[in-house]
Amino acid sequence: MTDEVFATVLDRVSRVPGVRGVLVVDAQAGVPVVAEVEDGVADSAVAALATALFRRAARAAEGSEFGHLDALQLEAEGGHVVVAGAGELLLVAVAAGDAQLGLLRLEVQRAVEDLW
Amino acid sequence: MRTPAPADLQRWSEEVARDPDSLAFLPLAQAYRRQGKREAALRLCLRGLERHPAHVEAHALLARLYLEEGDREKACDEWAIVLRLDPENFEAHRGLGFAYLERGQYGAARDHLERAAAVRPGDPAVREALAFLEELQPSSNGQREATERPEPPAAATPGVHDPRRVFEPLMADASFLGALVLDEQGLVLVGTLAPDQDVDALGATLGGAVHDEATRTATHLGLGAWKGILLETTRALIHLSPLGSGLVLLVALRRDTPAGWARHAASRAAELARGFLEGRA
Repeated sequence: MTDEVFATVLDRVSRVPGVRGVLVVDAQAGVPVVAEVEDGVADSAVAALATALFRRAARAAEGSEFGHLDALQLEAEGGHVVVAGAGELLLVAVAAGDAQLGLLRLEVQRAVEDLW
Repeated sequence: MRTPAPADLQRWSEEVARDPDSLAFLPLAQAYRRQGKREAALRLCLRGLERHPAHVEAHALLARLYLEEGDREKACDEWAIVLRLDPENFEAHRGLGFAYLERGQYGAARDHLERAAAVRPGDPAVREALAFLEELQPSSNGQREATERPEPPAAATPGVHDPRRVFEPLMADASFLGALVLDEQGLVLVGTLAPDQDVDALGATLGGAVHDEATRTATHLGLGAWKGILLETTRALIHLSPLGSGLVLLVALRRDTPAGWARHAASRAAELARGFLEGRA
């Protein structure tokens, strides 16, 4: 994976209005490979928590015969976390509560295609 | 609606022939239906929907055409699509309300008819059907309380007392696969999924595990309480949301369901679940 691909992915997703941070994360280790986050967003914590959530949900979905987990979207009072799988990598986006979610999902989907 | 002039028919017909993407297929199909040319109307409608699959009025017209042919199942499928596109569509709620009424599914019938009445309070057919339902099955804040009638047996009130049937009103939506209310241990309290799903195993694996992890993630990232989580798997969309008191609502929908619709279905399922749980408390 080239730096250029990572840069394109980060740029594409972070342009969506309301996005506060974008990370490409090692899905096994749960650590950021590259990240572009606003001040106040702890990229290591986001990477670890998002990875744990994704892996747990993926195991649960497979265990309950719903198949492979492609993506998840956590909605909380203060914002959203979108996590999408791309093989050994995860793409994580943290967004404010008023972010354009439809556009964010679309850009995450496109970015994941670049990461595969 | 005024009867279209022959010149209008000619113009629409030419437009559809010239441009297959033209929206003139709808007034032309409506005119054909009024002239009794139902087969032609059906063909036009189906062809138009291939180009414009999200056209609400075309789905509503198709439902009406199927109904007039006596094919209630297909009509119900079309109304369900209409409601996915336009959740407050009067015609679809009324159509589904009467279809459920005929099948004896009174809970679902009441749900759709009440929503139709909310859109058009003056519709006499809907009012009459609701009055009939009220006589047959008084609502909880109506006659039953006033007269202190004993609870009817569960079999006489489908979907109300049987915890597996709480989400039955949502079954009209073709994308809905089922819903469950899970406790903190992941035990299933309410609802059901497709017959081949082991709901207890599913509850144990999905409910507790994801609830804990979602709470941890949202809290540590300073996002406050979690409100919902949408999982997109190869086979389904699964929406989980907290119902309070440690309970989690799980709603499963077909994979091709739009995310916005999944949240809407989860919100309706939450209303039904809360209604059932409060009624039981």
